[in-house]
Amino acid sequence: MVFFLQSVSVGAQADTVDGDQLVGQPWDDIVSMAKGGEVNWFLWGGSDNINQYVSEYVGGILKNDYGIKLNRVGVSDTVEAVNIVLGEKESGVTESGSVDMIWINGENFRTMKQGGLAYCGYTETLPNNQLVDWDNAAIANDFGVPVDGCEVPWSTAQFAFAYDTARTKTPPKSIEELIEWIKANPGRFTYPAPPDFNGAVFIRHVFYYAAGGVENILGEFDQAKFDEVSAKTWAILNDLEPSLWREGKTYPTSINAMNQLYANSEVDLTFNYEPAGVGLNIENGIFPPTTQGYGFSDGTIGNTNYTIIPFNSPNKAAALVLQNVLLSGEAQYQKALPTVWGAAPAIDVSRTSNDIQAKFAQIKAHPNVVPAQELAKNSLPELQASWVSAIEQGWLANVGN
Amino acid sequence: MLGRDGFGIRSFRILSGIFLIVWLVLPLLPLAIWSFAHGWFYPSLLPNQWSLKAWEYALSDTAGVIDSLWLTIGISLAATFLSILVGVPAGRALGMYKFPGKGLVELLILAPVIVPGIAVVLGIHSIFLYIGLNNTVTGVILVHLVPTLPYMILVMSGIFANFEPAYEAQARSLGASAFKTFWYVTLPAIMPGIVVGGLFAFLVSWSQYILTLLIGGGRVVTLPLLLFNFATSGRNDITGAIGMIYILPGAIILLLTARHLSGRSGAVGGFGQI
Repeated sequence: MVFFLQSVSVGAQADTVDGDQLVGQPWDDIVSMAKGGEVNWFLWGGSDNINQYVSEYVGGILKNDYGIKLNRVGVSDTVEAVNIVLGEKESGVTESGSVDMIWINGENFRTMKQGGLAYCGYTETLPNNQLVDWDNAAIANDFGVPVDGCEVPWSTAQFAFAYDTARTKTPPKSIEELIEWIKANPGRFTYPAPPDFNGAVFIRHVFYYAAGGVENILGEFDQAKFDEVSAKTWAILNDLEPSLWREGKTYPTSINAMNQLYANSEVDLTFNYEPAGVGLNIENGIFPPTTQGYGFSDGTIGNTNYTIIPFNSPNKAAALVLQNVLLSGEAQYQKALPTVWGAAPAIDVSRTSNDIQAKFAQIKAHPNVVPAQELAKNSLPELQASWVSAIEQGWLANVGN
Repeated sequence: MLGRDGFGIRSFRILSGIFLIVWLVLPLLPLAIWSFAHGWFYPSLLPNQWSLKAWEYALSDTAGVIDSLWLTIGISLAATFLSILVGVPAGRALGMYKFPGKGLVELLILAPVIVPGIAVVLGIHSIFLYIGLNNTVTGVILVHLVPTLPYMILVMSGIFANFEPAYEAQARSLGASAFKTFWYVTLPAIMPGIVVGGLFAFLVSWSQYILTLLIGGGRVVTLPLLLFNFATSGRNDITGAIGMIYILPGAIILLLTARHLSGRSGAVGGFGQI
């Protein structure tokens, strides 16, 4: 009892809250500052494969090579971690934050960057930063928001659909085909309602289609353009509603709810921003083994996800070491193995050592996962975050009402 | 005639007993099956394949379920102990004495049950930030008192409403010290209430999610937090395995205290008498 009543403080050990002081320091000095400390990494905790990769593989490297203790803090939604940092800032906790790193992108990144919640300008200090192709616009911009050295890429992902070859012979291969397919197969399709991340991405695909191509809506938010395209989008989606699962009277609230509908044959298609998920879901018994992932001929949206260090992290040196480990060719290779996770690397593999390049070349993708290279042939960019949130709000007001 | 009626009542009792057990246990059955399933899709009645993978993960170091189990037990026991410490005197005051403002005090004690926890905890969060209790086990234990105390105090005030203080006076007049009086006279009389109130407090603390998440800052990982991670991500097998571990302490405590929960117990009888 006494043990539990004692205040188990989680304050700083090797206090490196002053991030500016770390910028440009020799890497060995940062590593020695980080030694013996800890790093609290908040990330979505709903996948045992990802949890094992992070805790066992990455945690093992930190412990054995750097003497750093990695605390993986699983959250159900990334926004929970962002809210902790936000709450700390509002309460004046500027030096002893409880979050040292977050797996992040999109709207959450925008919140952190605009709210001054991120530690910025340090990426050049990481030795493995040279493996990152910052000239690639899809890396240098997170949902259209310039990264500006406030986060470090971890993986890339591209939206893909999946169907059950035992049930469906010819799945629709473009948004136009999908619309016809839904009408011809009433009740066999649905999508998760925003704010579900994957459901929102699906709606953006329809939005791109209604705009006649993403090139018409790239750049800054344009209200007139939005009004025009969104009116078309809502018309398409409202027109489809009677042909959806349960006549569109209700929508699944999460991608996992929809995956279960798919697995139990209530709907015939599913989709995910993480195409490798099909392989893991088959291995984990969530999907029937006859599930096959595939892309659309008119392209699917791709993104990059990142790790970010909050401004008030007291363990910045350890967080930098962690980011550097994550960027290393070896860790990116492990992550790309289909038996581990199957996530596509965020580094430019051609910049890694010959040894790592050879290993990457030998990766055999899960047979039911659509290969990343094939998807990448038809890759669509993400819109700026202001567009994204306007589309979500618009859907809630006009379709999901 | 009498025998027939007695038989009728008895078989009705047995039937309703069976019904209750089925009602309570049946929903747990799919959970148990899921924890050993590898792929279980409609319309199959049983999983396509059996596997121990979920249990292997749930019991591994990575999952942290076992650490979390001990932590959750510790937090719930501490919250129960503190609830008893506060709840017994408070219940005595409310059950036995009339004083000005009693109605208001009763309302304030019941308030946490009426007001949603999320509304209360946001205020507590900012106060705890100043005194450094956020992200600590201590902070989580203290915030669990908000929902556990009303149950404890309600049960105890019911017990004390039926308590005869003359027994205490008698013991004192026969020369027992205040402590001895409490230990040998008061405590045995109120024990059923402490057991039942403590059971409520333990189970209420055991099932807290949002209070633990906000005050613990995601750093105090109790079992409900781990469970929610997997429940929301569609891993029915791992959710099933952690779920089975999660219901274990509650079931054990319920079995141990079952006799105090019967209709004849003073604790249940006096519940409505605040």
